[in-house]
Amino acid sequence: MNRYYLYLILLNMLINVIMFVPKILIEYRYNGAVMGTLIAIPIGFSLNVLFTKAITKFPEKGFPEIFARSRKRWIINLLFGIISFAAFTAGLISLLGFVDILRRFVNPEMSFMYLLSVFLAGILLITKLSTERVMYLLEIVLFLNTPLILFIIFKAFTSDYLVWDSILEVGTHLFTKPSLKAIAAASYIFAGYTNLIIFNRIIKGKIKGWNFIMVFFLGLFNLFTTFFIPIGFHGSDGAQEYLYPWISTSDSLRLVYSPIERVIFLFLIFYMGITLMSVSVHWHLSYELIKGTYKESKKKDWAVLAVFACISVACALFFHTLLLNKITVHWMLSRFGLEIIVVGLFYIWARRQKT
Amino acid sequence: MRTIGNWRIYGLVFSAVFLLSGCGFKDIDKRLFVVSIGVDLAKNSSKKYLISLKFAIPSASKDQPNEFSIVSEKADSMSEAVRILKTKVDKEIDFSHAKVIILSEEVVKTSGNAGIYYWFPRRRDVQGIAWVAIGKPTAQDVLNVKPKSEQLPSNAIFLALGKDGSETPYIIPSLLFDFKYRLIERGIDPILPIIEAQKQIFEINSVGLFNKSHMILHLAPEETKMLNFLKSKEEKSAIKLTKGKTTVVIDTQQVKAKYKIHTPKGKDPYIKFEVSVKGRLEETNRRVTNNQLSGYEKAAEKSLNKEFEDLLVKIQKADVDPLGFGIRYRSRHFNNDDWQQWKRIYPKITFKVVTKVKITDTGLIE
Amino acid sequence: MPTIAVEQIKERLKGKIPKAADVVFKELHTKEKYLEVFYIKSISDEAVLHDKLYKPFFEQQHPDEFKNYLESIPQIKSYETEEKTINEILNGVAILFYQDSVLLFDSKVDRNNSVLDTTVETTIQGPQSGFSESLPTNLGLIRKRYPEAFLNVELTTVGKISKTEVMILHDTRYADPKTLNKIKDFLSNVNIQMFQTGEQLLDAIKKSNRALFPVMLVTERPDRVAVNLATGKVILLVAGSPFAVILPTVMKDFMASMADIYQTYWVGRFLLLLRYIGFIISVCLPGLYVATTSYNPEIYRVQLALSIAGSRNAVPYPSFIEVLLMLFMMEMLTEASIRLPKAIGPTATTVGGLILGQAATEAGLVSNIMIIIVSAVAISNFVVPINAFSFSVRIVKYFILASATFFGIVGVVIGFFIFIAYLVKLDSFGEPFLTLVQSKPHKE
Repeated sequence: MNRYYLYLILLNMLINVIMFVPKILIEYRYNGAVMGTLIAIPIGFSLNVLFTKAITKFPEKGFPEIFARSRKRWIINLLFGIISFAAFTAGLISLLGFVDILRRFVNPEMSFMYLLSVFLAGILLITKLSTERVMYLLEIVLFLNTPLILFIIFKAFTSDYLVWDSILEVGTHLFTKPSLKAIAAASYIFAGYTNLIIFNRIIKGKIKGWNFIMVFFLGLFNLFTTFFIPIGFHGSDGAQEYLYPWISTSDSLRLVYSPIERVIFLFLIFYMGITLMSVSVHWHLSYELIKGTYKESKKKDWAVLAVFACISVACALFFHTLLLNKITVHWMLSRFGLEIIVVGLFYIWARRQKT
Repeated sequence: MRTIGNWRIYGLVFSAVFLLSGCGFKDIDKRLFVVSIGVDLAKNSSKKYLISLKFAIPSASKDQPNEFSIVSEKADSMSEAVRILKTKVDKEIDFSHAKVIILSEEVVKTSGNAGIYYWFPRRRDVQGIAWVAIGKPTAQDVLNVKPKSEQLPSNAIFLALGKDGSETPYIIPSLLFDFKYRLIERGIDPILPIIEAQKQIFEINSVGLFNKSHMILHLAPEETKMLNFLKSKEEKSAIKLTKGKTTVVIDTQQVKAKYKIHTPKGKDPYIKFEVSVKGRLEETNRRVTNNQLSGYEKAAEKSLNKEFEDLLVKIQKADVDPLGFGIRYRSRHFNNDDWQQWKRIYPKITFKVVTKVKITDTGLIE
Repeated sequence: MPTIAVEQIKERLKGKIPKAADVVFKELHTKEKYLEVFYIKSISDEAVLHDKLYKPFFEQQHPDEFKNYLESIPQIKSYETEEKTINEILNGVAILFYQDSVLLFDSKVDRNNSVLDTTVETTIQGPQSGFSESLPTNLGLIRKRYPEAFLNVELTTVGKISKTEVMILHDTRYADPKTLNKIKDFLSNVNIQMFQTGEQLLDAIKKSNRALFPVMLVTERPDRVAVNLATGKVILLVAGSPFAVILPTVMKDFMASMADIYQTYWVGRFLLLLRYIGFIISVCLPGLYVATTSYNPEIYRVQLALSIAGSRNAVPYPSFIEVLLMLFMMEMLTEASIRLPKAIGPTATTVGGLILGQAATEAGLVSNIMIIIVSAVAISNFVVPINAFSFSVRIVKYFILASATFFGIVGVVIGFFIFIAYLVKLDSFGEPFLTLVQSKPHKE
């Protein structure tokens, strides 16, 4: 029984909506997204299994502890730097993306910085907690929010306006040549295992087989929902016109008997918590890795956090939605490559450690 | 703990600074809620459209019913109209409760209005779940109607279209996002209900069928009902049929329709519809016993088959596709040019309707 | 004949304790023997002295026989150091000088040992009596409810001036030794001059002496203490206070009422759920009202939005002022009804709640909906069973309200999660204050 592991994976699966994954997939729906998704599933899943197997050989240890006694410090520091940068940017993209969504749908007259500041306040506070406490908080947030998202997904699947023919129409483009971008984007669904780099600290014991089975089916379901539900609502031809397919999809649902009639608000409220946690988890990972490269020092800790905040503010000034969207595509590609390299190297290294 | 204290102070200072600059804080009583939007063609004017907004004016006490006011403006585009309308009212116009969009018959019959249609989904504050309908004779007339049973402005339309209130097979509601979906998706075309304004009431019992740009076909109430059956969306309904001198009315409890597109090689393609109707006898002008029911079932099947086929052919002749045969065909064929194929097939296709009627009993009395 | 050492001790003790009106130094004589008694009248029980000391002294003829008697009765202890002896005198012990020995005779008067009824944490069913103000009685109450050989009791004192006796109770099987050590360290480092009751520890736990949330539970119910002992908690009993302190305490304990275990399972669960909902409502509702009326009225359905807009029509100021005003009134009312004598309390609530609310709406100062919200907040706040915690919760809603005023609905949600993060960050002697699944306290 390892619920913490599943939480980490689930968090990534939920946040993909903000990370432009549906947008990328829908964009390539006629050009290889379907095949790409199908290919991404085994790739993402096996990366997940390999890495998890490798890191659970070091029970209750994160990367900084595993490599603490390594001699070639500079290689380790470089590696930590790269991973930490990747994790930080992952958080940053979802943060900027979500603040942009909020500014469009919830507070159109509020300035971007203003909204960003409240998120940063929360995120930095959570980032500084100990790993164990971040996990406890994640558990609470998921507990409060997951029933809601399940309900929304249930509503979406049972809606009269979900046109299965449109979904199937996209399905008929199965045999087009898979697109690499779609593969990269779709494999992000499974990428939650990378959080184990730090969060392995609190994972006790082995991760049993059924955890992987859960991950596999959750991922399958999640990919299907992410990709096809917006198409079912907005059409195989029309879905790509939307900037945020999932947000618009949630605006297409109506709760007849609820005091809140428009599902979009429930959806956004739900995602506020999820985004807060997802960014915090990513940044916590990044923060702890950077902490692993120097000796303990309170001042440096604060400096790292200050740098995080400054970069986000700077990026918020520089990026707008379309640019962010474009960059995310490239980010997904590089993340995909980095993931394969890191997992491969670590797996080989871990095997040699054992023998 | 110190961190929290710091953050709080930091947050407070930060927010206090921003509060001065104003940030969308606007109380609910400083907003004017638009409950429905009407789009007409402007008459005797150089401008193209006449945009009307119906505002709900909340009353302070619950004893008085809520009032409304309608403000109109001639303009060439939606956004232009809204900008000018803002100068005509004292409070901030809030579109977030605009639940009904009414396009007048004239507007939908002309093509080239895509700008207006797209304006609504493009705006964040117009609900994706707003209803779209055709107003007859004009949209303004529809906005002006105030049924006596209405507590809130436009609530009567909300209830009718939302099917929270009356449930009838003569209404096929259409939501904004669905309207947009059908406007774009190749292989399925929009249907909009037609709201006809009379003095104190509405009449919503027919629909207009669109191609991708404008309304092509107007369906009569009975045809609307048939279309609704084919969509399997409405179950509570009544079917009238005559057999000999007897006229009976069947109260349907379950209507299910499914179809399949057959494209046999070398033969003409056809669409096979299977409709099953289950219901009980509600009214008859002569005595009908339970034994005779199977006879009526046969008669009902025959007449329904004919009506369905007539309707389908009529729709086909107009070259519109409200039921989504095209998207069905596309979804079942893997080749990339399936849409071109379908465009060739659709005008020639024939319909075969097989209806199964089951009359369970004759109600409480024979 | 008294020896010189005894004589010296006597003189020194007399010197250390000033001649107050209630300091007694008595000499008793019979033909054969001679006894000196030294005690403070007001805190010693003279009846015990009379029964156990004076009577036998005059009844028993032989000096040795009396000495044997003295050594046999349980109240007697022998002299150790001067300092301790002075402390003992100040606590009501009598010093006996007999022959060549100095003896301490425990004649402490045990006032306030009547068991009180529970007034703060009431339950409908279950035991109705709480602790008394006497330490031995309280210990007795617990022992009676927890008849286990593993119950360990340690004695220490807290408070520079008050030197209040504090008993540390724990079950040696269940309590975590690490936690226990932390608690002992904490107690020895507490910097309080006058220690009167366990509640004082709530603030002392922070370095800054300023805490928002209590991380220990102060209870008046012996049954709660007994139940918590069995789950491995450590109990502090403070002399002179009818409250016991339970450590370490997490949020789950604050949300639990003793009534829960006196109810059937589903009823208990339902009540627990109710409390958590009440907790969330009382924290978030004022903020939500401001966020939804001033930033996002589209959240409501149109019918509700219009009726709120209608009821706010006459209100001349922005929603957050309206909320602040009403919340302020409500806090006043709550405070007033606590302070007022029991007989007038309900009247104040009625006058305040009903008449003021009605009049404020009539006058157009606040909207009808506001009155409903404020009362909902007030009521749901009192659903939290432990007072110390519900007071803290009362403050948090202002934080959420402020963040809602500045950031709208985003402020409410993020503010709420920051609040939750703060709770998760708190810990009570090593145990996280808030987790979804509290780790089992039994550490085998």
